[in-house]
Amino acid sequence: MNTEQKYWNPVLETLPREKLHSLQLKKFRRIFTWTYENSRFHRKLYDEAGVTPEDIRSFEDIRRVPKVEKSMMRDIQRKDPFPYGDALCVPLEEVSEFRQTSGTTGQPVYQADTWQDWEWWAENWCYILWAQGYRPSDRVFLPFGYNIFVAFWAAHYAAEKLGCEVVPGGVLDTQARILKIEELRATAMMATPTYILGMADTARTKMNIDPTQLGIRRITCAGEPGASIPSTKKRMESAWNAKVFDHAGATEIGAWSYECGHQPGGMHVNEAMFLVEIEDMETGESIEEPGRKGKMVITALDRIGQPCVRFDAKDVIEWDPEPCPCGRTFRLIKGGVQGRADDITKVKGVLLSPAAIEEVVRDVEGLGDEYEVLVDRLGDIDRIKLKVELIPGAEDQVKSIEAILKDQLRLKTNLGYRIDFYDYGKLPRYEVKAKRFKDLRKK
Amino acid sequence: MNIKEIDDQIQVMISTADELKRLGEDFPALYRNVARIQASLKMLELNISDIRELTGESN
Repeated sequence: MNTEQKYWNPVLETLPREKLHSLQLKKFRRIFTWTYENSRFHRKLYDEAGVTPEDIRSFEDIRRVPKVEKSMMRDIQRKDPFPYGDALCVPLEEVSEFRQTSGTTGQPVYQADTWQDWEWWAENWCYILWAQGYRPSDRVFLPFGYNIFVAFWAAHYAAEKLGCEVVPGGVLDTQARILKIEELRATAMMATPTYILGMADTARTKMNIDPTQLGIRRITCAGEPGASIPSTKKRMESAWNAKVFDHAGATEIGAWSYECGHQPGGMHVNEAMFLVEIEDMETGESIEEPGRKGKMVITALDRIGQPCVRFDAKDVIEWDPEPCPCGRTFRLIKGGVQGRADDITKVKGVLLSPAAIEEVVRDVEGLGDEYEVLVDRLGDIDRIKLKVELIPGAEDQVKSIEAILKDQLRLKTNLGYRIDFYDYGKLPRYEVKAKRFKDLRKK
Repeated sequence: MNIKEIDDQIQVMISTADELKRLGEDFPALYRNVARIQASLKMLELNISDIRELTGESN
């Protein structure tokens, strides 16, 4: 096998746009027909909207297909066929994988996958890993305790599939994981940005180990937007002396997007396997043009057990105007997933995205990696408090750091903040997804 | 890259797998291993067979 080949699939990833559109339309018709014929839940939804498979002839027709929201999947689960409910399209004995969502936005949703779906999950991850330079010579360390969540399971299977050696670093603490990376000379790893930064901090401060000397060459992130936030990516790359890549995926969707080796400031949508639409957050109008943010509606074009057809994912994205120099014809989403429609909240009448705060905090020298944002209300007035940590040795720079923070936050978010400084190590540490943004007005 | 030639071979493998599965009804080790092979073959269809007609190599 030629490991110099740039693309996992040299035909699909460079397919001319018009042919890619033809492929997407053909595949949408196929998955829609499959879902219509095999899921009682979807059949009812589509019949009520008066849409049948014969109606799907164009992308405009696709937009007539009703969207599915997470709350709808919550409503049908724990019913027959137990526990998935009647969105299941295959007999229960064909289900080989159970996963559930993390429950960040409410009651977890169960997800059934057949073995074919599981192969498909790994296949999608192969597109990601190959594009990010993973090759059979890599020894990939996964510092993550696999469980009922899908996180990194498919990455593990994909890394095996493309020939890497995979080291599962599950039931180990952070220090043991670092020692194992050192002992085995792992070359790559995958984790949340929070944990990547936390591991580097542990290595430096508790073990007197310089993470840049451990030999990790590439890191793939998931679960948080950090690897697409330039200042956070820079911190991770600097901490490990490694290339850091982002990807996007979700339990109900699959691994649908990835940053390639060119790190173009955005992620490719795997348009051979997924159909991504962007809708205006207020009007629902379809957004085709670059540079305009909206929320994502996505179809997994080949997932059969519990299909994902026009799923209202609520991820906030925008198309990039530029093609990627890597040569892939898959479109880029600029800056990756920029947040969730649920998280973007109005503060003092201004739309605030937590990712914008992270971009500022992680770009200020003298501050640690951890921070917290609290929004509350006094009377009718919204207030934002930002808690940050000073790194050892920066204690005498409080005034200048505070001035930089206030200035940059005003510029990037158009809002004023109260800044509270803490000694290094005082703010909470997280192992998986961090919960740094707390809106106390919702209580 | 000759997509038609590759896809022709994939179709042969799919036919072979279907036939092996039929023969494996009373042979769990055959039936279940072929079921896994079929899932892998599906990935070849998604990667290659689906684009045969789009690359002008459908004949």
